[in-house]
Amino acid sequence: MDPSNLQELAAGNTWTAIWPELSLGCLALLLLVLETLLPRFIHGKIQTFSIAGQVFILAALLLDLHTPYHESFNGLLVQSSAGQAMRVFFLLSSIMVSLLARASLWKHRVSKVEFHHIVLVVSAAMMLLVQSRNFVMLFVSLETVTVGLYILVSYYRSSARTLEAGLKYLVMGSLSSGLLLFGIVLLYGVAGSASLPGRSSDAMQYDELARFLAANPHNFLAAAGIALVLSGVAFKIGAFPFQIWIPDVYQGAPTPVTALLAVASKAAGFVVLLGLVGEAFAPYAWLVVPILTFMAAATILFGNLAALKQHNVKRLIGLSGVSHAGFILLAVVSVPRVPMAVGAVYFYLFAYLIASFAVFGVMTVLAGHDDSEQEIGDYSGLSRESPFLAGVLACGLGSLAGIPPFVGFMGKLFVFVAAFKAGHYGLLLVAIAGVVISIYYYFGWIRAAYFNDEPLASPEIARRARDGAGRLLAIALAALAASSIVFGLYQGPLGAWVSLR
Amino acid sequence: MSPSLDSYVLLSAALFAIGFLGVLVRRNTLVIYMCLELMLVASTLALVAFSRFNGTEAGDVFVFFILTVAAAEVAVGLAIIVALFRARQTVQVDELDLLKK
Repeated sequence: MDPSNLQELAAGNTWTAIWPELSLGCLALLLLVLETLLPRFIHGKIQTFSIAGQVFILAALLLDLHTPYHESFNGLLVQSSAGQAMRVFFLLSSIMVSLLARASLWKHRVSKVEFHHIVLVVSAAMMLLVQSRNFVMLFVSLETVTVGLYILVSYYRSSARTLEAGLKYLVMGSLSSGLLLFGIVLLYGVAGSASLPGRSSDAMQYDELARFLAANPHNFLAAAGIALVLSGVAFKIGAFPFQIWIPDVYQGAPTPVTALLAVASKAAGFVVLLGLVGEAFAPYAWLVVPILTFMAAATILFGNLAALKQHNVKRLIGLSGVSHAGFILLAVVSVPRVPMAVGAVYFYLFAYLIASFAVFGVMTVLAGHDDSEQEIGDYSGLSRESPFLAGVLACGLGSLAGIPPFVGFMGKLFVFVAAFKAGHYGLLLVAIAGVVISIYYYFGWIRAAYFNDEPLASPEIARRARDGAGRLLAIALAALAASSIVFGLYQGPLGAWVSLR
Repeated sequence: MSPSLDSYVLLSAALFAIGFLGVLVRRNTLVIYMCLELMLVASTLALVAFSRFNGTEAGDVFVFFILTVAAAEVAVGLAIIVALFRARQTVQVDELDLLKK
């Protein structure tokens, strides 16, 4: 490679195409600078500053959602309307995680500003991850996310439970990265070999790889590589049989981090999976579709059945998240036959964001010093102490359960319609059985909050319920609860966009 | 006689399998962590071999990224293991059962 060629390549780097990621990174650095410069007694304000900065970036992004770029950095990144939607998604989730952190970090003797710093970096990396169309870019941004999450999961480093969760996440995360990487290497090696037709010199690129795979539809090594890559991604989204880490890690991690794992990390995994299934591995649908079909059915059944027995709400929400991953997989499986399924996945992710953060918000407000111990019994009589929190909780849980008029219902409906059009009738039956089971445990939780005449389990929790959320968090929770109803009744441009595809 | 591409790929597959089985079988956290690193190194070896024998250059660049990522992962991972040892005085997987119910 001669230097003039490199210069040409460098000229193709369009830095303005990734301004949201860059500004998030700059904001993250600015937080650290402010922490060193400002006196200690106004450090609490830095957290608010971080949230304000993110809201500003979100507003700037929403003002001009159209992106003038298609490919940037010589094909490493691809900008699209779906990518823009996911940028909004990750900004919303990082704003909510920052709000939750602001409401819960003060209960612990840990550094506050660094937490926000890492949340911002992880969110920026997720934005790059969902836009990457090259395996090198994919791996590097995925690892930026994962290493950041290792730190966040074990953030309460004086709590043995949190550290244990951190270690479990570390081992499982590294294992999945190892599988993913070996899969990528196998695909790269096979696609470059001179003896096969359609040899590609740059097989890290999605479209090059797809071209090679189309020329060799039944290559054993390529199939092994695809299976390894899929299992690596399945770890991230928590699909069966790679879901074993979820209950423990969700329980032990700080509640804001659990929310980040449940919503943003899972969504990133699904968008990566969509890119792989729809583009890079499209010629191998004969292999990908059966694997994912099995995973979807097993994930839905396992998540719902295991959640039935849970009394700890963090484990419960983790296992219910496993079953939601199964529902989204149902739509992903339909993608090769029904293009509209892509829209169903995005809509479901947004519905899941709204519903989950409503529930996590209430959990954060009610959690005490040790937030790994939160039982369903703690919620009994919540509606009498705080009608507002109980209302938000009911909206969130109703939406997760998929009851009309909440947005979760529409999300499930779009997914089921996509699966029906694609002809996955057996899988659809499993999914409907899963929905029926899930209503049981979601309603157990709502019943504890509304229809339980016993007084609250402890005066501590009653006091926290009466104190309620801080002003900013209360506004955000009210907005989430309202949007879970509004988007359930009227999907507007979002619904039109989904059904047009 | 220089080794062929096949022998490199077989070696790296063997290393990967040893690492993977080690993660599943071993009970000491530090040994598990070494096995995880072995998996990354196996991928790197295969990558270099493929890149050299196929004459494609993207693999060589990727190796540098993998090394960087592995270094970051080790730094964070060892910190977590040390903090856990301070809190629990053990790094045996079987004894880390606070989260099981």
